[in-house]
Amino acid sequence: MKLLKPSWVSHNGKPIFSVDIHPDGTKFATGGQGEDSGKVMIWNMAPVLREEDEKNENVPKMLCQMDNHLACVNCVRWSNNGLYLASGGDDKLVMVWKRAAFIGPSTVFGSSSKLANVEQWRCVTILRNHTGDVMDVAWSPHDVWLASCSVDNTIVIWNARKFPEMVTCLRGHTGLVKGLTWDPVGKYIASQADDHSLKVWRTVDWQMEANITKPFSECGGTTHVLRLSWSPDGQYLVSAHAMNNSGPTAQIVERDGWKTNMDFVGHRKAVTVVKFNPKIFKKKQKNGSSPKPSCPYCCCAVGSKDRSLSVWLTSLKRPLVVIHDLFDKSIMDISWTLTGLGMLVCSMDGTVAYLDFSLDELGDPLSEDEKNTIHQNIYGKSLAITSTEAQLSTTIIENPEMLKYQQERQNSAQANAGPGGAGPESSAPKLNSVMNGESLEDIRKNLLKKQVETRTADGRRRITPLCIAQLDTGDFSPALFNSVPILPSGSSMSSQLTNQLSSDSSPGQLRPSHDAMLTSPPANSAAKGLEDNNDGVKSSLLLTSASKIEPMKALDSRFTERSKATPGVTAAISSTAGLTPLDSRPKDALSALKDAKTKEETSSDSEDKMAAINKNLAFGKRKPELLLDGGEVVEKRKKGRPRKDKVAASIPQPFPQVTPPAEREASRVSAPPAPIAVLKLPTPSTKKAFSLQVSMEPSVFLEVENEVSVVAGSKLSQLRCSRDGRDWNTLLPSSVVTAAGSSDVLAVACEDRMLSVFSSCGRRLLPSIQLSTPVSALHCSAHFVMVLTAGATLSVWDVHKQKALVKNESLLTILSGADTSVSQSLLTQQGVPVIGLSNGKSYCFSSSLETWTLIADKGDSLVQCADFRSCLPTHDAPVSSGPLAVMQGRNLNAGRLASRLSSTPHHLQQSMTLAFLENQLASALTLQSAQEYRYWLLIYARFLVNEGSEYRLRELCKELLGPVHKSAATSWEPTTLGLRKRELLREVLPVIGENLRFQRLFTEYQDQLELLRNK
Amino acid sequence: MAKVQVLNVAVLDNPSPFGNPFQFEITFECMEDLPEDLEWKIIYVGSAESEEYDQILDSVLVGPVPAGRHMFVFQADAPNTGLIPESDAVGVTVVLITCTYRGQEFIRIGYYVNNEYTDPELRENPPIKPNYTQRNILASNPRVTRFHINWEGCAERMEDSENVDPSSNSMLPPSCPPGKAPPLGILPDNSMDFL
Repeated sequence: MKLLKPSWVSHNGKPIFSVDIHPDGTKFATGGQGEDSGKVMIWNMAPVLREEDEKNENVPKMLCQMDNHLACVNCVRWSNNGLYLASGGDDKLVMVWKRAAFIGPSTVFGSSSKLANVEQWRCVTILRNHTGDVMDVAWSPHDVWLASCSVDNTIVIWNARKFPEMVTCLRGHTGLVKGLTWDPVGKYIASQADDHSLKVWRTVDWQMEANITKPFSECGGTTHVLRLSWSPDGQYLVSAHAMNNSGPTAQIVERDGWKTNMDFVGHRKAVTVVKFNPKIFKKKQKNGSSPKPSCPYCCCAVGSKDRSLSVWLTSLKRPLVVIHDLFDKSIMDISWTLTGLGMLVCSMDGTVAYLDFSLDELGDPLSEDEKNTIHQNIYGKSLAITSTEAQLSTTIIENPEMLKYQQERQNSAQANAGPGGAGPESSAPKLNSVMNGESLEDIRKNLLKKQVETRTADGRRRITPLCIAQLDTGDFSPALFNSVPILPSGSSMSSQLTNQLSSDSSPGQLRPSHDAMLTSPPANSAAKGLEDNNDGVKSSLLLTSASKIEPMKALDSRFTERSKATPGVTAAISSTAGLTPLDSRPKDALSALKDAKTKEETSSDSEDKMAAINKNLAFGKRKPELLLDGGEVVEKRKKGRPRKDKVAASIPQPFPQVTPPAEREASRVSAPPAPIAVLKLPTPSTKKAFSLQVSMEPSVFLEVENEVSVVAGSKLSQLRCSRDGRDWNTLLPSSVVTAAGSSDVLAVACEDRMLSVFSSCGRRLLPSIQLSTPVSALHCSAHFVMVLTAGATLSVWDVHKQKALVKNESLLTILSGADTSVSQSLLTQQGVPVIGLSNGKSYCFSSSLETWTLIADKGDSLVQCADFRSCLPTHDAPVSSGPLAVMQGRNLNAGRLASRLSSTPHHLQQSMTLAFLENQLASALTLQSAQEYRYWLLIYARFLVNEGSEYRLRELCKELLGPVHKSAATSWEPTTLGLRKRELLREVLPVIGENLRFQRLFTEYQDQLELLRNK
Repeated sequence: MAKVQVLNVAVLDNPSPFGNPFQFEITFECMEDLPEDLEWKIIYVGSAESEEYDQILDSVLVGPVPAGRHMFVFQADAPNTGLIPESDAVGVTVVLITCTYRGQEFIRIGYYVNNEYTDPELRENPPIKPNYTQRNILASNPRVTRFHINWEGCAERMEDSENVDPSSNSMLPPSCPPGKAPPLGILPDNSMDFL
């Protein structure tokens, strides 16, 4: 055994809490305390392994350092595939790091050490859920899950395929959880906590399998970590700090019955960390001796607070080796190389030790195949441990249909991945540069000119920064590190300098007569090659300039202290409240901030309201104009006008009084006005002439000219329609107030409250319909006509069938709030009327249910919190034209807020999303919007599949399939909204088939569909 | 963890005559969409002796800032010479770039600045009235200080911290004791702002 303490592995003397060797053995990570933050560092393994590499200046020792954790890092762990590094710290966060491939060496901007980061590791996900320090993290076999445990007494299981999704949170410990280990076959996870217990949890249902307390009951005091470990053959679990006869031990727990009969004894203080060698060994065959079968064994390293390390073989009664006084302080973590022969140990004293074993000492490691054979012998082949794709190989596909489907899926996945795409990683987001082909250098040259600068309301400058790379890509475009300052191209100095630099491209030519001050920084900024050439010259220049600038102590302090010139709160005051005196209490600023915020939040609502108010105003204002326009009839109308204006100012008055005298008779004949006539919706004013396009395809234009001629004292209005270049026109006895049309029908409402309906060719389809109150809104769609009257009643007619779908239905039910008004109304192609209100709610009147139904609510928290992004179809464009989408508007952004709420418990978000999706489905159904129904059904199904809700899935399938055998008693309809349900099921089934866990469900319904098809 | 990381600051137009505007090309990266603007300031330290002579050359709001990497050029006029003590007009001083989010400063980038006469003769015999100096920012050696702030910045929390006795927080040891740093959650990150 060789022992080495590489002194260069250090966090500047600060404690190192964790160490982990990369699976490929070329690097290792350390985690611990940084200067004023947590620190993760990645080191090159080569200088540890080979002395010549350690001495070779060109072999970097430190590869990368990350200061992103706000507080001490307690644990660093590489994923099994080596692509990710997870770190957990006292800042309650787990960060997942990935190497950014496109970025070259760089320094951390402004870091005191000028050591460059040779590799760039970028934080790709921050996992937030813990409410206390994260003590340990562990990747499951095959990197399906990542587990983290915390002093908040919980263990969180994260979906490592879909960060930051949480799988579950394991509760049960009553003390700080300080260590985690996965069963090597993925069936269990074990945790050890300060509550004197070691718990084993099943991964099938995430319930507790065993709670082991006896060996820990005597445990007193606290150890910083309790890193337990599972043996590579899965047969033994070894705990950290346990007690036996008041002596500290590492308890061995047998998988079989969780018996605790054996322990590792000998350490004088608590055991902090146990780590099994990943290899299983067998006795080294001596040369010449006959190969005799020997039992395979495992190797385990134990580190303790007593600063000593012991290494054990399960085939020996005594430790293989014990090393005392390796460190000045407690051992914190141990990591083996994947070869099983090297081991790194780190300590609270801030140092790291490397141990190198030989095969003679440990034995012959079994190959991975041999290890798998052992696993299969013990645990069998089909361990249905998980439903994810990684386990695909271990889940048996039970029928040929499923197999065919899975193969097709894999093929198409490969086709999609294209060249270079490798397995699950192919889904990794691609580089998404926003630079439009312009080189970064070009952009930088003109940045000052190009950047958008505006003034805020209070006169402050506001710069819109230029986005040079989007973050959701995971990786970044090659970009500027150690970048070269670009001098304004117009300045004489820059050209002068470039001349100088280009002429000085060989070393030594830089004339000493140059003023050092003038040349040193630009030389610094020269192109890389030049920089190398000029190295000597440059450094001397730098020296001169540095020596000239003698930093003063007084100035030094200014770098680190937040200056009084910029106290944050006063800035907030001046920026938000403007007029608030500077010495006012911060509270004022805060309340101002709050006010501003609430204003912002309600602005959309108030806009709607404003619009409604404006409409009302316009209504009131336009009346006089009409008086002037009215010509001869003005006299006649004048009597009625003033009263009408009063009503416009929302004085409750029954409508018959409002109507002009000439029309009285008609109104008497018509149905008496509804008693709820107090509700007043704005009505459009009569214009002299107007035109509108009622349909694009075929193109139909409608022109209205009021009072074209007067015949026998009554004025006539003309309605002219041009459809695909063919015109027709008709005359109406009263001024047309509003008109609407679809490709099938045209409807016009007149001042005398008459509604006329024409076919697209100008044929009158219905006799004039007398409305109780003036028309507020008129819509046509397909062969349906919808009228919203000023008296807040709604009617819809089916012109073809000459039937009323909705009859004088009052809006009172939905306009209950004091300030709500109708902000939008529309009629779907299926004749479903939809009313949008100023409070963000949208209702449709379901003629089958004969009731108002809520279909959208912009303020609904479910809408904002539902997160179904992962379930969105990749190839289908989102349905944006359906009535549901129209009413919900742009707000529906697939959980934009959801990301902010990532701290909400997963099950809560899951329920919210489920509720939201079911709302959508029901709404689409009521709206009879078939396309949207199908769209949301597929998202819903995918969500159920992802979340594993089998009950709901089964019910859904059952409903879609209907009865297989015909029977008279069934009420099952084979279609919904004109979509054949079984066709929908055919679309849903592949979604279900994506999760092997539901293969039985898939098969069951696939079979039945086949059966039905053959019938 | 800080949501905004400054990746690079390139000092443009350097060295330059004293009267030229300052130009810094700032590249930063943001972890997630920021609902509010960042506020950047350039502060010129007029005299090493006293903060009294600090001049805020300019302050700009930068936004909106979606997640991603961004850059902008921050240009600010040269300091008002009238506000600089004559004794400090020539020599070494400091220019600071600070960035605040929700009124909390989270990064401070400082550069040494040397103001000098270009003319060797003037350098030898400086005139009594300082004039025509050249400004040279030591761009190669930025001094970066990061501060922990409350990025979520909800007002409730800020109000809470307002009621905390400030002295207890301000006396925190600068570096963490061996072992563990104090748990951050308990300690209001932005307590300094209310001192």
